[in-house]
Parts: sequence; structure tokens; C-alpha cells
Amino acid sequence: MSKDRLLEVLERWEPVIGLEIHTELTSTRTKMFCGCEVAFGGEPNTRVCPVCLGMPGALPVPNQYAIEQTVLAGLATECTIAPHSLFHRKQYFYPDMPKDYQISQYDQPFCEDGQILVEVDGGGVAQRLDVADGTGVTPAEDGSYTARIGITRIHLEEDTGKMVHVGGSEGRLAGATKSLVDFNRAGTPLIELVSEPDIRTPEEARRFAQKLRLIWLSLGISDCSMEEGSMRVDGNISLRKRGTVEFGVKAEVKNMNSFKSLHDALVYEILRQAELLDSGGTVVQETRHWDVGAKRTSALRSKEAAHDYRYFPEPDMTPFEFSEEFIDGIRQRLPELPDAKKIRFMATWGLPVHDATVLTSDLEMAEFFEAAVTIGGAERAKPIANLMLNDLAAHLNAAGISVTASKVVPAMVDELVALVEEGTISGKQAKDVFTEMAETGDAPGAIVEIRGLKQVSDTGAIEAVVDRIIAENPDKVEGYRSGRTGLMGFFVGQVMREMGGQANPAVVNEVLGRRLSS
Amino acid sequence: MALSESEVRHVAMLARLALSETQVETLRVELNSILGHIDTIQQLDLADVPPTAHAIPVVNETRPDVPRPGLSREAALLNAPEKEAGAFLIPQMTGGGDES
Amino acid sequence: MSTPIDLSTLDAPRIRAAIAAGEFTAREAAQAGLERIEALDGAVHAFNQVTPDLAFAAADRIDALVAGGAGADELPPLAGVPVAFKDNMNLIGTNTTCSSRILENYQSVYDCTAVARMLDAGAVPLGKLNMDEFAFGSSTENSAFGPTHNPWDTDRVPGGSSGGSAAAVSAGMAAITLGSDTGGSIRQPGALCGVVAMKPTYGRVSRYGCVAFASSLDQIGPFSKTVEETALALNAICGKDSMDATSVTRPAEDFTEGLNDGVKGMRIAIVRDMLEMEGVAPEVKASTLAMAEKYAAMGAEVGEVDLPSAQYGLSAYYIIGPAEASSNLARFDGIRYGHRVKDAEDVIDLYMRSRAEGFGPESIRRIMLGTYALSAGYYDAYYGQAQKARTIIIRDFERAFADYDVLLTPTTPTTAFKIGEKSADPLSMYLSDIYTIPVNLAGICGLSIPVGLGADSGLPIGLQLMGTHFAESTILRAARALEADLKFDTTPPVVRNLGA
Ligand SMILES: [Mg+2]
Ligand SMILES: [Zn+2]
Repeated sequence: MSKDRLLEVLERWEPVIGLEIHTELTSTRTKMFCGCEVAFGGEPNTRVCPVCLGMPGALPVPNQYAIEQTVLAGLATECTIAPHSLFHRKQYFYPDMPKDYQISQYDQPFCEDGQILVEVDGGGVAQRLDVADGTGVTPAEDGSYTARIGITRIHLEEDTGKMVHVGGSEGRLAGATKSLVDFNRAGTPLIELVSEPDIRTPEEARRFAQKLRLIWLSLGISDCSMEEGSMRVDGNISLRKRGTVEFGVKAEVKNMNSFKSLHDALVYEILRQAELLDSGGTVVQETRHWDVGAKRTSALRSKEAAHDYRYFPEPDMTPFEFSEEFIDGIRQRLPELPDAKKIRFMATWGLPVHDATVLTSDLEMAEFFEAAVTIGGAERAKPIANLMLNDLAAHLNAAGISVTASKVVPAMVDELVALVEEGTISGKQAKDVFTEMAETGDAPGAIVEIRGLKQVSDTGAIEAVVDRIIAENPDKVEGYRSGRTGLMGFFVGQVMREMGGQANPAVVNEVLGRRLSS
Repeated sequence: MALSESEVRHVAMLARLALSETQVETLRVELNSILGHIDTIQQLDLADVPPTAHAIPVVNETRPDVPRPGLSREAALLNAPEKEAGAFLIPQMTGGGDES
Repeated sequence: MSTPIDLSTLDAPRIRAAIAAGEFTAREAAQAGLERIEALDGAVHAFNQVTPDLAFAAADRIDALVAGGAGADELPPLAGVPVAFKDNMNLIGTNTTCSSRILENYQSVYDCTAVARMLDAGAVPLGKLNMDEFAFGSSTENSAFGPTHNPWDTDRVPGGSSGGSAAAVSAGMAAITLGSDTGGSIRQPGALCGVVAMKPTYGRVSRYGCVAFASSLDQIGPFSKTVEETALALNAICGKDSMDATSVTRPAEDFTEGLNDGVKGMRIAIVRDMLEMEGVAPEVKASTLAMAEKYAAMGAEVGEVDLPSAQYGLSAYYIIGPAEASSNLARFDGIRYGHRVKDAEDVIDLYMRSRAEGFGPESIRRIMLGTYALSAGYYDAYYGQAQKARTIIIRDFERAFADYDVLLTPTTPTTAFKIGEKSADPLSMYLSDIYTIPVNLAGICGLSIPVGLGADSGLPIGLQLMGTHFAESTILRAARALEADLKFDTTPPVVRNLGA
């Protein structure tokens, strides 16, 4: 699936994509309807009780905090919080679902009709062919654009248990002869967000999911680990002839366990569906499974053709009526959200949009930045941001760790920036100091001290070296004076080498300029 | 509303009940007889009447997010028809079931 | 044991008092109860399981209190009282079978709240009681373990679904039993066995641990020979339970208070249109009218009301009940517990055959009916319409209770019928609950009290007293007044013959 092939297909076919994102509320201490603890992993069936095992006679009692967290999620995504809502039973038989119905919400969910804004920049912009029209999206001067993606609803439900399939390969269903069921996860509070089919490109889908994850992380409602399955993204995708409005037949894609998988699976589906449609075929409405190894989707076998969930109001529970006071109380708990934080970083710290976007797309980096600039002041914001986006980001990436796990702390970054600013060390020296600082956790000042890295700004000392270099290279001096000003680089290099890289480049430039022109 | 034989089979599939030919026929007759009586309710004009899910109008019943002791694994698995490695053992799946 | 204890002559307060006074020990009382079960249950078959170990352990705790010097005031309210529980209530140390093959070997891993509260009140558990499978029925013939027999005539049914609970009390095998009532399953067998039987207001008693039939209708309640014992049992089991979101928070009440205050000034009405329904035995109708006259004679203001929507109760009930049941019974799938076929090809095969083998015919009938009523395209016509019918039934009751404190109907249209008489026709069986069903749909409280033997049948007739939400005290007081006036002898022939 080449990039060109995708763009070629997109000329003719417009994808219509909606996402369904399930997120476990890992921030609650207990499960949705019982007092068992919420955690990941552990010995099978050790966090279970009569309720989450669906034992005869056991009854569910909803977790107040999980409901409040769901309302918080709704408020953060500009949803309307329903004044009247309730739980329904969604009925189907499956061994990881203890009661053989899932307590979920149906036509009266807690949150409806919200939106989030998704920024697309870089290579992904090309997938959106109508950016220039400005009809569907808001383009920006730097070539990026912002798309508004509607949120149909957010509802609260319970998670299922987990099955390990034995006899096939690597716990997979295919070829398995038996399965083991663990109900530790069963009953974990799960919010399901359903987007409007407003997404038009795989890149937008990825950005949407990433943005949502960032919002959820800002709220602290979940650890949003796609690896551990606490955030799971399913997609609905159909194609329509560009310029038409009617939706095509959609396929549902599941098992996309990373943002990359989400993007790649949608690209695959676009190409697959386009090929079907181009050859006069039709898309079958079905659920397809993304195989990350084979990089393809395939239809799931299903013994029962049509589902009939027989939803009805959960009779073991009372309905919910949320007062304005209650909703306002939850609204008070809203933290600063990513969009607001980005705008504030630009306004308060004078960061350019790119720096602000990147820094606020990671909560820990944003917090780190704020801690550093709080020490160093607004005037150091840009160099601190630069150091974080270059040296620090590269270091974290190479080490495969998050900023909180690294030995670098905000004060160290500020100190390093100050050392450069004061001219104590050069920018080049700063890179070495950073590397050592990240490795040892020693303060930059101490490193400079111990390694004798002090920058030489003494004009007299530099003049002595400059004069010697000029004397040793009369031909080059001649060349420079006759207009080959590019030779300045040669002289600077010579001086720096002579001085062990410790000369202040500004002073070197100044002295060289003066001596060479005289 | 009369229930046909194929509808009886469909409902049995939804309810996960393997019915014999005889049971299907017996149930078709019995269910239609019961439905014949129940259908009287459809003569009522209740268009403007709100439904009642619970006779006692209570709302917002929840519990605090506080852990309480659950079952030991032994108790959890006490009634398991088959078990292995601390888990409930079941025969092979054959696809289907893809919700969450 | 110095003298054999005849439990049939002792009610709960007297048993407790005798134990406190050292006349006999709780262990001796438990022993007497167990011996009585031994002697009578062959003929009655009220018990699915007898639990001597649990009984003696509980009795010994009471005896230890007495030995430690606890007097009548210190002993818990049901100290040493032999009790038993319908077999849909979980109790650790017992199997909870719901009289179904599918749960035949199911061992409880936790306690039902109402059961635990009875035991906390000092009661001594003698065992688990037979019932219609999953409470589907009105005769206890739908038990996978064979029918229970009516102590008044062992050829007849005890009613159902809590037939074992009614028969055990009637035969004096337990002073108090608990049953569950979804459409009459406490009151109807109570009437047919000649004992006091009460369904409290929905939400009064926690449903936690009682295997659900229809969640929006089910309610646990007591059986006893006297109104006072019913009040004592309610004292023990009522109250908010954090494990049941539908249990309600109410101020604490002592249901024995004012029990003997009589009915002077109480407003009591016969539900005239229900009394005129088809299929009511003349002796039953006559007795209800006679009781209304008695109330008038005792100083109550007696009148008549109509509940025109109540006639739709049966239809609404046979949609809502099976619909909720079909969902509640989905969990019996052979995965975590319960019957499982040995040779399943795959999980769907396991589900389908385990369930078909495990459930009896009436359970299958109700699951099918309920699944159909909820299935795509039928929800509005059935479940939705039934929920609306529920609303108009509630409105009828609200109107009636604006003018009256207690409403009267017969509990059942007829006295106990013969075993096998109605089992061929499910619909005719369903009709035996026409008087009790509207009470569940409206969530109000109802009580059946024995008012005598039928002039034609010679069998017990029950009068149903209905009160509005949380008006248990009122109907208990009205029932107590009648009890005191009638002095009905609750001893059935099977017990009298035992003495002979
Ligand atoms: Mg879902
Ligand atoms: Zn649990």
C-alpha cells in the first residue's frame, strides 16, 4: 500500500470514518457495580465477587465516582449532560461476560452531542484533499488545519473478563481447542465514546484518538494504556464518491492496538474498499479484524448472523436525575484542557504555535516546561522549549523513557540554559553537558566545573590566538580580504580548535572580524 | 400476533436453548395460547401514558467507590464445571461475540 | 430432653421466652424441629435440604448467650426460633437449587441479605424449601425434585411458587419461613396452606442473594402462623441494604408496635370489580364479603372501590415477568457454575444443550416468552405496552388509597386444587394469581391471612389485605384484628393425624 496509491484513491473516493473508543476508568478504586478493586493483570480470578462473577442472586450497585468521572469526560468534550439517564441491559451470550448481558446505556446515555478539535500538520495534511476549500476544515498559515469532530455520545458500561485461548498459536482464537476465562477485568468501569462520522482521513482518525487520549489523561480518568487494553479504538469506515453526500456501506474494524495500527488499518480498508468498488463490487457490512503482523484486515467469522441485543431498562437499578448543581459541581473539577493549555503557553510564555502544540501534547513535558520556566522566567521560555524539544526529546526517545523517569529535572534544564545565556559555555558545549547530565543526573554547573568547560571570553587571550592564526595563514587572509568572506568559517574553526572549543564564539567572531578587516 | 415455527426457532437461538422438534411444536402452540390472552393489553390506548419501570420512584442510588472484600479464588471456582490454572475452562469458541 | 417440645403449639415469642427462661434449650428446639421434619416431610416434601449442622451451630450460639447469663431482654428478637428459607436464597453451607436441575449441585458462596438478617436476629436455620423452579408457577409442581403437598390435603398443591415455605409453616416444621413473591408467590401459597403470608412493599427488603425472577417485581417476605411473628420477621429483614440499589432507605420501624390497636376508624374497602371477576369460587367470594362485614362490626369504615385497570395486570405481568426472567436466567450458561453437558463441540453448543437440559418446561416456556417479548420489533408492543399498563394500574391504586387505608380481595379465586389438575394448561395456572399480581406491579404491600375453611371445599381460604407503599403497619394491624376475632385453627390434618 504505497502512499501514492492512497492519494490516488482519495482523488476519487472520500472516506467517511467514525470511531468508537472504549476507555477503562482506571482511576476508580473499584469496579462499576461491585467493590472489587480495579487493577491490571494479577493471578486469574483473584479480584472477583458474586456480583462481577454473575453468581445467582447477586445485584449490581453503580459506582458513584465512575458516574462522576463519566460526566467529567462529557464536560471536557463539550457534551450535554442528560438530566435524565439510565442503564440498560444489552443481551448476548459470551463466556467472558458473566451475566450474559452487559449493563450499558442505550437511548438515554449520560453525555451526548459534544465535539473536539483535531489539528493535523505535517505529512498527514496531504490526505485531506479539501483543506484549501476551507469548507470542511479550518486551514492555518503554516499549512496545518483543524477539523471539528462531533461526538455523538459518551456512555458508561462494564468491561468483560478476559479469555486466553489454548491450543492455537500465541493465545489466539484461531486453532484454539479450549479457552481459559479470567474475570478479574470483568466489571471494570468502561466509557464508550462514539464519534460522529466526521472523520475524513486516517491521519485525522489517529489525531482524534491521540487528542482524546490527551484529554482523558488531563482529566486523570484513565491511564489510557493501549498496550494493556485500557483504551481500545474501533473504527467504522465507508467510502463515497468524492462530491456525493450519501454514505456507502461501512465495515467495522477492530483490534487496532496502537495509533499506528489505527492509521494503517484505515489506510488498508480504504484501499480494500476502493478496489472492491472500482471493480464494480460491493462492500459487505461486517466486522473486520486488524492483523498487525500481516498488515491486513479480515472478516470475523460469526455463527449468528444478526444481533438482537434486546435492550431494556436495567431493573436492578434506579434511574438517574442530574441536577444543575450536581453538574456544576463536576464542572468545578475540570482541569486545564490541552487546547487551553496550548493557548496559554503561547500567550504567557510567548512560544510559537509549534512549540506550544508539541509541549502540550504530553502532559509530563508540559508540566516539566512550566516548572523550568517558573524558575527561569519568561525570557528563558524559548531556549528552554528549544532544549526540551531537541536535546531532551531526543534523549527520552533514545532511552525509551518518559520525562518523569529521566534523571533530568526542570531546574537542571533552566541552569543549563542560563549557563549558555551568561556565556559561561557555548551552545556546543551545552550539548555535551546535557548528555552527561542526562546520564549522571549531575547539575550542569558541577559538570562545567569538574570538566573545566568554562568558555573563554577573555578578549586578550582570544586576540593572541587570532593573531597567531592570521600570521600562519597569509594566503587565506589574502583570499578573505579579496572578497572570499566564506573563509571566515575556516578562521573560526582554527581558533576554536586551538582553544579546545572553549572560546566564546561571539567574541571569536568579533575579534576575527576586526583583525581581518584591518 | 401469532408465532410461527421459524420464529420459535429464532427465539430459541436468541435464548440459547437447543429445542427438540417436539418442543418447538409444543411451545409454538403454548406460546400462541398465552400470547392470545396477553394480547388483550394491546387493545388499551396508552399512547399518552408514561411507562413505569419501577413502582417506587427512587433515583440516583449508587455506592461510594470503596473496595470491599470479594471471594477467594477457591470460592469463585467452587462451582466451576471445569477449571484449569485458576481459570474457568471452556471448550473452543467458534467466532462470533465481538463486543465490548 | 425432659419433655418433647411441640413446636406447633409454640410461636416465635414463646419459643424465645422459653429458651430465655431455661425451659428448654435452643438446641432442643432445633432438635424438635428436625424431628418434626423427619416425621412429616415424607408426606409434605416441603424441604429440598435439611441443615442440622447449621441449625445446631446457630442454636448453640443462643444457648451460649443464655449460659452467659443473657435474659429475655438481652437475647436477639428471634433467638432460637426454627426457620427455613425458600431454595432461591443463598446461604453458605447449603446448596441453592431454585428447585432446578441446572443448579442441582450449586453451592452458595455468599449469604442472601434477608437470610443473614434472620440469622443475625437469632433464628435457627433448619433447611431450604421446595419451590416451583426459579419461582415459575403457582403450585410447586414445577420443582425438579417433585411437588410439595398441601398439609391440609396431601393430594392437593400447597400453591406456589413458595409452596415449601407455606407448607413448612403450616405443618409446624418451622415457625417462620421466608419466601419470595413476584406475582403472588408468597400470598397465594399462604392462602392455600392457611397461614399468614406477606409481600412487603417493593424495596423494603433487600433482594440481594435471592435468585432473581423479575427484578422489578420480586420481593422477599415471611410466612408464619401468627400476624405477630410476621411483624417480628419483618423487623428482622426490612431495611436498606448497600448491596441492593433498589432497596429503599426508610426510618426504622417496629412492626409489632400498635399491632393490637384494632381497626376502629380505619378505612377499608372491598375491591368490588375484582371480586366480580370470572372464576371466583362462591365460597371464596362469600368469605371475603363476610370479612368486610366483620371489619364494619369492629368499627372500621367499610366501603367499596373499583380497580378497573387491574384486569390488565395478568397480561402485563406475563410480559414483564418473563421478559426480566429471560434476562436474569441468561447467566445459567454452564460456564461458571451449574449444569454443563459433557461433550460440547464448542461454546454455543455448550450453552444451548446445557440450558435445554438444565431448565424444566415452565422455565423454558417463560424464557421463550420473555425473549420474544423483548426481541427486535416486539419491544414496544409487549414490554413497552406492559410498562404503560403498569402505570395505569398504579394510578388506580393511588385513587383507591386516597380514600381507603386497606383494600380487600380474596387472595386466590379458589382453594387448593389437586396436584396435576392444572399442570396441562399453563394459562389456567396463571389465572390463580389474578388477585395478587396487581400488588407486585404497583409495588405496594399485601398480606394474606387465613379466614376459615371453605363451606364447600373444607380447605383454607385466604383474604388479601392490600396497603399503599410502606403501609405494612396498617395492614398488619388490620390482619391482627381479624386474627384475634376469628381465632382460626391453623393446625392442618397432616399434623393432627400425627398426634393421633
Ligand atoms: Mg460498548
Ligand atoms: Zn466484584
